[in-house]
Amino acid sequence: MKIFVCVKHVPDSAATIRIVEPNEIDETVTFLLNPYDENAVEAAVQLKSEDDDSEVIAVTVGKPAAADTLRSALAMGVDRGIHVITDHWPDSIVTARALKAAIVQDGDSGLILTGKATIDSEGFQTQFRLAAALDIPVATNVGAITRHDEGVIVTCGLEAGDEQVIRMAMPCVIGAAKTLNTPRYPTLPDIIKARKKAINEVEIESLGIESPDSQMEIVGLRPAVEARRKQIIDGPPREAVAELIRRLDEEVKIKLR
Amino acid sequence: MNKKYDAIVIGAGVIGTPIAYELAQMGYKTLTVDKLPDAGMGSTAASCAIVRAHYSTEDGVAMAYEGFKYWLDWENYLGNVKDEKGLAKFMNTGSILIKSQGHDWRKVKKNYDAVGVTYEEWSVEKIKEMVPAYDLHEFWPVRRPEDPTFFDESTRMLEGAIFCPEGGYVNDPELSAHNIMRAAETRGSEFIFNVEVVAIRDNGERVTGITLKDGTEYDAPVVVNVAGPHSYKINRMAKGVWEGCNIKTKALRHEVMHCSSPEGYDYLNDGYHTSDGDIGCYYRPEVGNMFLIGSEDPECDPQEWVDPDDFYAGKGGLGRDNQLTEAQWKAQSYRCARRVPTMTIPNQPRGVVDLYDCSDDWIPIYDKSDLPGFYMAIGTSGNQYKNAPVVGAVMAELVDKCEKGLDHDQDPLQFKLRHIGHPIDVGFFSRKREINYNSSFSVNG
Repeated sequence: MKIFVCVKHVPDSAATIRIVEPNEIDETVTFLLNPYDENAVEAAVQLKSEDDDSEVIAVTVGKPAAADTLRSALAMGVDRGIHVITDHWPDSIVTARALKAAIVQDGDSGLILTGKATIDSEGFQTQFRLAAALDIPVATNVGAITRHDEGVIVTCGLEAGDEQVIRMAMPCVIGAAKTLNTPRYPTLPDIIKARKKAINEVEIESLGIESPDSQMEIVGLRPAVEARRKQIIDGPPREAVAELIRRLDEEVKIKLR
Repeated sequence: MNKKYDAIVIGAGVIGTPIAYELAQMGYKTLTVDKLPDAGMGSTAASCAIVRAHYSTEDGVAMAYEGFKYWLDWENYLGNVKDEKGLAKFMNTGSILIKSQGHDWRKVKKNYDAVGVTYEEWSVEKIKEMVPAYDLHEFWPVRRPEDPTFFDESTRMLEGAIFCPEGGYVNDPELSAHNIMRAAETRGSEFIFNVEVVAIRDNGERVTGITLKDGTEYDAPVVVNVAGPHSYKINRMAKGVWEGCNIKTKALRHEVMHCSSPEGYDYLNDGYHTSDGDIGCYYRPEVGNMFLIGSEDPECDPQEWVDPDDFYAGKGGLGRDNQLTEAQWKAQSYRCARRVPTMTIPNQPRGVVDLYDCSDDWIPIYDKSDLPGFYMAIGTSGNQYKNAPVVGAVMAELVDKCEKGLDHDQDPLQFKLRHIGHPIDVGFFSRKREINYNSSFSVNG
C-alpha cells in the first residue's frame, strides 16, 4: 500500500515575519516542515511499521527551497519524496489539484495523510479539496487512527472537547491533529540516510492541471496585532497568586482546582 | 548639585557587579548604572556560564582556576547575603577536554601542572565508560554541513581526554549577577536601572562623571566601563580613550543551540561539560535534559559583527534579535551529533542568540585608559564569565592602586590571586598591547 503524506514548507513559528509590500513575506527566515504535518509523517511511518508492504511517500507543492522540508520528512522515516515545483504560492485550489495530479501520476494511493492545518495560511481547505478532487472521504483533526478491515477508524476532535468516531473506506484523506502522536525527531544518521533517498522533481506546468474558474489572490498582508489587556496583581506573592487563581477561575473560567 | 560617588560602574552584568562589590568592600561609595531593568539581563543572561580551567596561557588557567574557588564557595563570597530571587547554583559536573587537533591540549596540561589544577587523563576507553553516548572517532578538521565531506565516515579514533573534576557551569548566569548586586548593596553600593549613559564628562585632566539620557549627571573621579557589547560605544564617549586603545572591541553575534538528550540518557544529571575542539563545539547539560551546544568559532564559520543597539532593538520585533539562522543551527547541532549520534535534532531550531564583546585578539582588556580615572573591563569575548569574581578583585585593586599613584602602564600591577596564591601580571590585559598571536582567537581564550 502506498501512503502519501502531503507536507508544506512554512516559516518557523518562532520567526519574526516581515512583510515585503504588498503581499509577500521576507523569505530569509527559517522555513521548516509544517508542525501538523510532522504528526502526519509520524502516523504514516507508524502505519508502515505495522505493514511491511507499505511505502510512505511525502509530496509537497512549493518553491525549490521546499526540498529541505521533504528532506526533513525523509529523515523522519519517509521512503521517498515528490516535489511539485512552482515559483508561486498557489492557493488551496491549485495546490489540491497539483497534489492530486502528482499522487495519481505516482500510482494508486491507499491512504493520504496531511496536517489538519498549515501554520502559515491556516486555510483549512487543502485536505478537503484534495479529497473532493479524488472523490474520496476525508476526516480532519484526527487524534487516533486504527486499521479496520479494508478501511480505517479515526477519532476526530470536535469543538467543546467532544470526539467523533468515524469509519472510512480507503483510500481516504486524514488530517492529523497534534494529539495524534509525538513526532520522532531524527538523529544525524537518519539525516545522513535521508540525503540519499530519492526526490522526484515535477514542474507544476507538466502536470496539466486544469485552471480553475476562479482563484484566490493575496492582495495585501498586514501584521496581526493582538491587543493585550494587562492586569497587574500587587501584593505579597502568596496573596497575589491566590488572587490570580480566583480571577482565572471566576473571570476567565479556567478550572484550576 | 550633582550627586557624588567615589566610583561609577557602567554595566550591571556579571563583570560589573563584582567590580562594584569589591570596590565597596575597599570603602568606595559606588554607583552602578545599567540600560536594562535589572542586574545580569544583558549578554550575561545568555552566557553558557561554563566554568572550566583550560586556557592557552598559564595566567589564563590560573585566573580560571581561581574563579572555581569562588563558585565553589558562592554563599561565603556573597557574605551569606539573602537574595529574594534565590542563589545561582554551581553545577559541578566536571569538565572534559577532548584531546584533539582543535585544542592545544599539551599546552593546557603544562599550564595545569604549573598552576596545580587537579585533573585526570582519560583514555578513549575511559571516556566510553563514563559517557557511553559519545562516538569517539576523530572528525577533524571542523567542517560545515554545506561541505559534502562533512558526512564522511571516520575510521580514525581520538587520543583521549583531560578531565577536570572541579569544572562545570552555573545554572543561572543572570541570577549570579543579581546575587552579587545584592551582596554589593549590603556594603552600600547603589544601582540604578533603565538608564542610558550618553556622555562621559571630564575636566580636561581627568574624568569627572557621567551624563544620562534624561540629562541627569552623576559625578565621580572614577568611572569603569563594563558595558559588555556596548563597550566600544562607551569608550568613544570618553575623551581620547578609544583612540588610546591599541586593542579595540566590537560586538559579535553568537548562537547556541538546544537539542534533546538521547532517549535513556539522563544528560542533565549524569552528563559532563565537554570542550570538543575536534568538532568545534562545547556542550553542557541544560534544563529539560537538553544539550546546550556552543561554538568554538572554527575558521570555516562566518562571523557577524553587529551594532549592539540594532541587535537589542530586535530585527522587526521586540527584544533582542534572538532568531537562530538555519545554517548555523544545522552546523552546530550536526557537529555535536557527530559526537553524540543518538541525540535527536528537532525540525524547529531552538536556542539562544546574543552578543560577545570581542577584542581584536579575543583576550579581554582589564586596564586603565588614556583618560585618568577612566578604567575598563571589556572585550570579554565570550570566555570570561567564569572569571567574573576574580576580575572584580583585580579591577578593584587596579583602580585603587592607580588612584594612589601607580603608573600601571610603566610598572604593571602584579596581582596575587587570593585563593591559589598565583601571581598575575595584569599588564597582560593592557589596552596598549600588540595583538597576542598566542591567543586561540576564539571563545576558548
